[in-house]
Amino acid sequence: MSEPINADRGLTYPGNLGCPGCGASIAINHALKGLGEKTVLVIPASCFAIMAGPYPMTALKVPILHTAFASAAVTAAGVRAGLDMRGDAETTVVAWAGDGGTFDIGIQSLSGTAERNDDIIFVCYDNEAYMNTGVQRSSATPYGTRTTTTPGSGWKRTRKKNIMEIMAAHRIPYAATANIAFPDDFIRKFAKARETRGGTRFIHVFSSCPTGWGVASSLSIKIARLATRTNIFPLYEIENGTDWTLNMEGDLPVGDYLAPQGRFRHLGPTDLEQIQQEVDANLALIQERVAATRVRQAHLKLEI
Amino acid sequence: MRQVLEGSHAISEAVRLAKVQVVAGYPITPQTHIIEAISQHCADGSLKARFIPVESEHSSMAAVIGAAATGVRTFTATSSHGLALMHEVLHWASAARLPIVMGEVNRALGPGWNIWMDQSDSLAQRDTGWIQLYCEDAQDALDTTLIAFRLAETVNLPAMVVIDAFYVSHTFEPVDVPAPETVDRFLPPLEPRFRIDVDHPRALYPMVGPAFFMEMRRSIQDGMDAAGPAFDAIAGEFENVFGRRHDAVETVGCEDADLVLVTTGSVTSTARIVIARQREAGKRVGLCKIKQFRPFPAETIRAVLGPAPRIAVIDRNVSFGSGGIFAREIQGALCPLEKRPAVYSYIAGLGGRDITPETIAEVLRLAEETPMPAAESCWVGLNPEVRP
Amino acid sequence: MIASLRPTLLFPVTRMSTEPNRTGSWRFVRPVYRFKTAPCSAACPAGIDIPTVEMLASRGQMHDAWVHICRENPFPSVCGRVCFHPCEDACNRAELDAPVAINALERYIGDAGLAARSPLPFSTAAPLQRQVAIVGAGPAGLAAGYFLTQLGIAAEVFEGSEEPGGVLRWGIPSYRLPKAVLAAEIDRIEKAGVTIHRGRAITPDTLAELAARYDAVLVGSGLAATLRLNISGEAIIGDGLSFLKQVQTGSAPAVGGAVAVIGGGNTAIDVARTLLRQGAQPTIVYRRRRQDMPAFGHEIAAAEAEGVKIVELMAPVSAAAEGDGVHLEVQPMTAAEVGADGRVRAVPAKQPPQTMRFNAVFSGIGAEVAEPWHRPSGEADTIRLSHCAISCAPRTVGYIGDPVTTENSVAHAIGSGKQAAIALHALFTDGPEAVVPAVDRCRVGPGPALSLEIYLDGERSHRTIRMVAFADINTDYFSRTSRCAIPALAPAAAAAGFHEAVSTLRPREALAEAARCFNCGICNDCDNCRIFCPEQTILVDEGGRRSVDLDYCKGCGICTVECPRCAMDMEEESA
Repeated sequence: MSEPINADRGLTYPGNLGCPGCGASIAINHALKGLGEKTVLVIPASCFAIMAGPYPMTALKVPILHTAFASAAVTAAGVRAGLDMRGDAETTVVAWAGDGGTFDIGIQSLSGTAERNDDIIFVCYDNEAYMNTGVQRSSATPYGTRTTTTPGSGWKRTRKKNIMEIMAAHRIPYAATANIAFPDDFIRKFAKARETRGGTRFIHVFSSCPTGWGVASSLSIKIARLATRTNIFPLYEIENGTDWTLNMEGDLPVGDYLAPQGRFRHLGPTDLEQIQQEVDANLALIQERVAATRVRQAHLKLEI
Repeated sequence: MRQVLEGSHAISEAVRLAKVQVVAGYPITPQTHIIEAISQHCADGSLKARFIPVESEHSSMAAVIGAAATGVRTFTATSSHGLALMHEVLHWASAARLPIVMGEVNRALGPGWNIWMDQSDSLAQRDTGWIQLYCEDAQDALDTTLIAFRLAETVNLPAMVVIDAFYVSHTFEPVDVPAPETVDRFLPPLEPRFRIDVDHPRALYPMVGPAFFMEMRRSIQDGMDAAGPAFDAIAGEFENVFGRRHDAVETVGCEDADLVLVTTGSVTSTARIVIARQREAGKRVGLCKIKQFRPFPAETIRAVLGPAPRIAVIDRNVSFGSGGIFAREIQGALCPLEKRPAVYSYIAGLGGRDITPETIAEVLRLAEETPMPAAESCWVGLNPEVRP
Repeated sequence: MIASLRPTLLFPVTRMSTEPNRTGSWRFVRPVYRFKTAPCSAACPAGIDIPTVEMLASRGQMHDAWVHICRENPFPSVCGRVCFHPCEDACNRAELDAPVAINALERYIGDAGLAARSPLPFSTAAPLQRQVAIVGAGPAGLAAGYFLTQLGIAAEVFEGSEEPGGVLRWGIPSYRLPKAVLAAEIDRIEKAGVTIHRGRAITPDTLAELAARYDAVLVGSGLAATLRLNISGEAIIGDGLSFLKQVQTGSAPAVGGAVAVIGGGNTAIDVARTLLRQGAQPTIVYRRRRQDMPAFGHEIAAAEAEGVKIVELMAPVSAAAEGDGVHLEVQPMTAAEVGADGRVRAVPAKQPPQTMRFNAVFSGIGAEVAEPWHRPSGEADTIRLSHCAISCAPRTVGYIGDPVTTENSVAHAIGSGKQAAIALHALFTDGPEAVVPAVDRCRVGPGPALSLEIYLDGERSHRTIRMVAFADINTDYFSRTSRCAIPALAPAAAAAGFHEAVSTLRPREALAEAARCFNCGICNDCDNCRIFCPEQTILVDEGGRRSVDLDYCKGCGICTVECPRCAMDMEEESA
């Protein structure tokens, strides 16, 4: 347990420009534990593009390539190609995008990269809105959310895009959800993604934003944990797009997660009931796929 | 070795000879043949490169930015809407100081859909910090591509090699394809001045605040300022190695000319014939081909065109609300002179309309006969029967 | 040549880290590591640092756990068997599932210490060149001797009987406390430097001699005389305490058939269960309701399981010899209002007295001092503390153990010995005025339990007295688990002899049970603060101690919320 003072700050420097309690800061700390120092990060426009340090400073001890908003995945693919041509097969190339840079403006290049199965890890740290520009809705913003572009009674009435299903449909070798509140699971998935070479790996990270969500900074982890414990954000893995594993099953009603957050404060019991039903249905769908995976794997064993 | 190649493939051959390491490409007419041929080179092993078949031009530029940041030689090609889609990342490439080379086939932008020759696409990108080199024919395309790599890598700015849709891209001509060893003598492997390096981790292209931004933009301008002399020096070396001369600005008979015709691209070849005939007929007309649009060779332009009383500029482009872009640039370049030539601006050949010898003769006649140039550009070759 | 045309490059590439951004300046609240008091440790009369003990045990560091117990209590194997464990009643885990089996763990750890023949820990306190005589080698006297030794004060214990241990030796039956266990723990105290003079009964005269010869005397003679029932025919009622001692010495009279035991406390239970093992069929006759019995619940349950009958709401009125048996006349009682002591009183029911017939009747209703000088006489300059009293003139004489403690238990006796040792140390070093502040300073939480470690300015002295409540625990980190089952003989097998009825946990059970502990108020190196700190500002030194790098801490407060055990607080920055 004993370590010298000041030693292990991992692969990040202190002094980043994230808000107090920023989930993305925690996410990068966890992620780099699983990725290691032989990592190149490609970062499109996002909170993290700012947090990582204004010129001439960097907050990370791994190389970063900042890129345009829409381009995280393909820029990473380009880096991969360049490193391959230089004979560097060891370094892991990771695109590190927010939900806008993944679900919205980044999805085309992400899809293209995943279809080509380029050898990169794409990480979406999802804080469910455009936080860097001041909390505007994205297609990752869940039903019921108030943002500055879904304000007041105009709160968002469409559901969050299911990015995992989209990625699974690309039949990439590995896709997983991870939550900053579950560091062991989180780090394991990043290590697994690093080891699963030769194709596109996708990790959907639940990353709380106290500033944008209307929760105290101290509750950043607490609220993230509730997202998984209420099955709003289940933790699961999809291998080759077809083999599903559920890592954890929640045990709490959605209200426990929604109620403490300013962005959901306006929701009434009927809304909660509706959200609960959707969450239950979504979980059931995952469970069905997990069950189908088991059946298929059992059959495979029999055939062997 | 002389081969019969279309202009597109002349560029592809140059890419092969340049031993480019990463190429990204997305099809668009009339550029597609360039990346098709490169794909073939990669597939048959004649080019040891990674070809990334991206899903858009925005992505092809982003991909080569990523690759170039690792310190490898990169190439992509596009045209028209594809170039327009790249616009954002063109800025990124230049401010990133990455020596990316791009083949660009001039084509009109829609609507209405038009796949034919028009310079509006590349000229709309004139402020993105890219070197722009315009080619007259297939040989020029091959040579310019090799020069572009050397130039881009010298000044750490990206370079666009521009050819005309169909007139160059799809026209087969005899082309001298140099031997690889000869090219190696001209174009050494890339020695990047910086690159992504896990052993020396730094962040490339972070946020830059007002305290530093202007100095960085000034550094791009310094790069462009260096690109002019660098082009001349590199073209000199090219001539030494390959025996072919390429000038940023080429002149024919300008020294004693009463009227100099200014062209870019393939129309120059047509103009050469018209000018030759008229000179045979005793007219003191000259021809000036501008190859290097960015950086704009203002000094040379002043030296070459300054003495001429009249200048006629053919623009296969238009900046709406202003006029022919080359003409405007030339007017700007000549402005500091005390005694300035009269600059006549002509818009012609948009969207693939032919610029025939007759069109050029018409331009020369108009310039001769018009005592004072109009403020607006003059559109030639309009069909009066096409009406609203 | 061309290379010389290369322009200089100024473009966005980083040249330094973000370390110059001292984001600590953003902060208006700061996290602090502030270890607090676990309710169990405050409830423990011996003041054991239970959260630390369980933390170490959960890691398998049994020796370290044992050392931590022995700093505050030299009798872990004894207390692990006989303590009434108020710690478990205070355990925060009860609100999640069930309290941690602290007592069983103490026994496990204590037995591990015995098996390893580990010597008792020695403090580094400077020798004071003072000598203290202690009268009585019961738990209070032995504890006092041990703690005095730890404080650098020589202690000699004068014990009237041939064997030390007091109530542990003579009162508590072997099936609850094997005498070998007791002997081993006393032996260890002697080896730690406490001299025990056996067979040296002290009288008022010899007490005066001791007081003159030693710098202080502590009287810890306990409650050696059984309380009287004050009913007619009392002479034919056997004295339960004497009976228990006779069983230990092998001189107990043969008793068989139906036997009554009067009382509802632990002595009554001990007597009844001992009688059962001697072959009798005991019945406990108690004047109040079963739920009012002061005996430990688990003892009552064990007794009944073994076959002891309990007759409640029957008050003995008289006893008379009848043939070779006894007629016990009893008055049926009924529950009335709550009395001044907080217990439900019993009043005679409107029924006539009944007569019960037994072969013998024993009383087990409690005890008092055997000699008046065993308790303080009320001199004016007596310093009265929660667990002891010390009169400073003409000689320094202190009183410890059952006569001066609010509750009579082994743990209280140990606490009493500790308090007296601390009081004497303060008295010797800084005079009478220093005693009360010294004792106050080493309270565990709000007290009255005292910690020697705190007195010696050990790590515990930095904890706040604030007690951790269940609401302070971040239960996200704890899932419900079942409390370990305490291994025990089947009642019939237990009742068949004097083998220990309850046995020690097995290693795996002990580790798992220790891991159930919340470790309230202390850092157990779970590392949550560091894992979740967005700024990576938690620093760990070579000793495993954590601190916050305030140059960068933005004051988000995640560390404090995610600390599962309330070892951190946020406090406002001063303006």
